[in-house]
Amino acid sequence: MNEHRRQILQMLSEGKISADEAERLIAAMEAPPAFTTLSDPASSGAGKPRPKYLRVVVDSEEDGGHEGPTKVNVRVPMQLLRAGVRLAGLIPAPALRRANFALQEQGVPIDLTQIKPENLEELVEHLNDLTVDVDQKDANTKVKVRVYCE
Amino acid sequence: MIPFVAVVSLRDHESRTFRLWVPLFLIWLLLLPLAVFLSPFMFIACLACRVNPLRGVAVIWQILNALADTNVEVEHRSAGLSFHIL
Repeated sequence: MNEHRRQILQMLSEGKISADEAERLIAAMEAPPAFTTLSDPASSGAGKPRPKYLRVVVDSEEDGGHEGPTKVNVRVPMQLLRAGVRLAGLIPAPALRRANFALQEQGVPIDLTQIKPENLEELVEHLNDLTVDVDQKDANTKVKVRVYCE
Repeated sequence: MIPFVAVVSLRDHESRTFRLWVPLFLIWLLLLPLAVFLSPFMFIACLACRVNPLRGVAVIWQILNALADTNVEVEHRSAGLSFHIL
């Protein structure tokens, strides 16, 4: 019997969890992992080249044509994102608490103190698969925003 | 390696392009004495905030290294501005 199963059964015997919950936990433990860690190159697309840049492209056009098109094209190296994330990991706890408070005031329920540097690294790694396309059409303007990695 | 040159390009409505090469290495050289002068204060600030000063320096160095190849372009009508760190 492995250690996790023993812990679950102990929690059940102590009445900390119900039999249903114990069953669900054991089933979840036995199920094949839905995702694998980033250190597993086979699962993270070994043949897929690692993207080097995060691109943000904005195209805005007015139908009247008076203003002309506006284009923004930003290319940020992924290395810079990773370094920035490591810098964010150095933010002291009191500053994080203040940031949390400000976020909650704006209705964003994120607890920054719970985000660890390794989570942030993982977040940047998962940006590889990110593509965001936003198309907005008003009466006068057409805006297209594209965020992706390349 | 930290970037040594940045290129700022401006294009006006008549499609005239002005390109300015910014020697970043001169800026780094100018900032070096300032960084040395400020390092004791930064060290104290890091200790006060309970941040490992060596880790802080390492992260800032990583950011400087990673700046290379950053590119920002903005175009409006026929005018445009681009900023590229080499």
